[in-house]
Amino acid sequence: MADASTVAARANHVLVGVLVVAALASAAIGVAVKDTFYLRLATEALIFGGLALSVDILLGYTGLLSLGQALFFGLGAYVSALVLMAVPSFWLALAASLSAGLVLGLVGGIIAIRVRGVYFALITFGMAQVVAKIVYNTRALGASDGLIGVPIIDVNLGVASVSSASPAGFFLVVLAVIVLLYAASAYILDTPFGRLLIALRANDARIPFLGYRTASLRLSAFVFAAVIATVSGALYPMLRGFVSPELLSFATSGNAVITVVLGGVGTLVGALYGSMLLTLLRSLLGSFTEHHLIVIGLLFMGAVIFLPDGLIGLVRRRIVRRLTLEDKPEEKPEEKR
Amino acid sequence: MMAAVLEYVQFVLAPQIVTGLAFGVAVILVAIGLTIIFGLLDVINMSHGEFYAFGAFAALALGSLGLPFWLLLALVPLLMLPLGYFTERVLIQRVFNRKDRHVTTLLLTFGLGLVLEDAFRLAFGPNPYRPDTPIRGAVTLFGVFLPNYRLFLIVVGAAVIAAVALVVYRTRLGAMVRAAAFDRNMAASLGVPVATVYAGAFAFGIALAGFAGVLLAPIYSVFPTMGRDFILMAFTVVIVGGLGSIAGAVVAGLFLTQVQAIASLYISPVWTDPIVFGIMVVMLMVRPRGLFGQLGHG
Repeated sequence: MADASTVAARANHVLVGVLVVAALASAAIGVAVKDTFYLRLATEALIFGGLALSVDILLGYTGLLSLGQALFFGLGAYVSALVLMAVPSFWLALAASLSAGLVLGLVGGIIAIRVRGVYFALITFGMAQVVAKIVYNTRALGASDGLIGVPIIDVNLGVASVSSASPAGFFLVVLAVIVLLYAASAYILDTPFGRLLIALRANDARIPFLGYRTASLRLSAFVFAAVIATVSGALYPMLRGFVSPELLSFATSGNAVITVVLGGVGTLVGALYGSMLLTLLRSLLGSFTEHHLIVIGLLFMGAVIFLPDGLIGLVRRRIVRRLTLEDKPEEKPEEKR
Repeated sequence: MMAAVLEYVQFVLAPQIVTGLAFGVAVILVAIGLTIIFGLLDVINMSHGEFYAFGAFAALALGSLGLPFWLLLALVPLLMLPLGYFTERVLIQRVFNRKDRHVTTLLLTFGLGLVLEDAFRLAFGPNPYRPDTPIRGAVTLFGVFLPNYRLFLIVVGAAVIAAVALVVYRTRLGAMVRAAAFDRNMAASLGVPVATVYAGAFAFGIALAGFAGVLLAPIYSVFPTMGRDFILMAFTVVIVGGLGSIAGAVVAGLFLTQVQAIASLYISPVWTDPIVFGIMVVMLMVRPRGLFGQLGHG
């Protein structure tokens, strides 16, 4: 027996499977035609997809809109860049960003989870703005230039080693990390803890009656999302060789929110598809005009008004119906979100 | 010793307080718009900063046609009234009755802000403009050097703020607004045209932001992202003062801008933002509702 949430989660897994197959196929094509540009672009899209994933954990499952998630993404990128410039080790950089995510998520969470709703949105917005301004003015962190000259590294995978300079190789490494982040999020959200987060979104006044503390649940969700964001951010300097304060900016946070809303709130996989789509769109528009924000802003407003379930909502309904029919053909298909 | 203190007050502290006061008055104008819109419609207008920039750009564009500053000060907010009215009617009402109103309207206005900001960049380019100061010169009051334009800004801004408070708390129109904020359905059944009041209040808030934009344009430069830099302060003021409270916005606006102005004498301006933000966080911890109650309540 599977309830609506589990079926929806399975439908997401199917869509991630499709994404991975498509990614592997494009990587093969990319290698065959010796492409660098589009593989690099797709890698970046995946990395920002990780940031969007963390926004979706908060918005789609816990009901908290973060307008400052780039704070964690950017700090992950800075930590990773600093580690890589000292010791060029992929795993060390990842571990350092993960620990930084735990600590910073806890600190930020203690500040932010005291409030809900619009207050939460505004306090995360403020936190990110303040930290971005401090980084922007700190000489030791390269101030407005950021940190330049992050070395090319070899990702040691035990059996083989992949250079971060190899477009297809590093694309696959990032794909693996992001899919792992997705899997970890999907797994955690399917546990009883995850169900409590969903309950928190639905009706947080009832949670205490079930014997749980809303504050600690919210804090756990916040820290979890922060870690997802810092780990995604850690991949950025490996790809581009630099980090800049732009990564911490409201533009980055806002983009992640746009990505999630376009892709589909509360689907996880929507964050990844949304990021792919937006990056592609931005690149296509970029060849015509600098003013892609007008187009993206209008698309985003359209999605908010006309597509509350995002693009994934359009497709997933069908998959959910099929999965439900396979599962228990005698019952009418139902869908939760 | 005494003379040194007096000299410090005269040449360092007092000018800084006046500068902070001019900035504070403009922040309050923007914050009052935000807080009325939230108090009445329950909507956080993320595009408010861009409407502030809209006012500044509109003044810039109309000013280049040769219109005098005095006329712009009245004309720009008036022109922005229909803009705000239709924004509320056409965009916000579309998602207003959804279950997740806070988040949906916030996202929608955020998108609108993006579009507006890029439209400014398209029309005016990314570089800052610095309009001429309409009133030159300065006076010396009790030995304190005061630029005329800042004094003018403080007086006009304060007069507008007082007028707004008077209208909201002392007129029949204000009573209708407060009634609609307190209980929408009850107000409607008593004959208050709630839909018009909502759209009107939104338009009014936008016009106030535009007015602040016209006022501040000669002091700070005019550039496409000016709204984004400004709005954090306005949001902080609104939260500390209490979302939906006009008195709160005034008190918090004066207090926070003074803290920022005076703190920047002693520490690097980079660190004044964390101080102001820290006050907001402490406020949220101690008294999450802010200093004062909501519009229409108590």
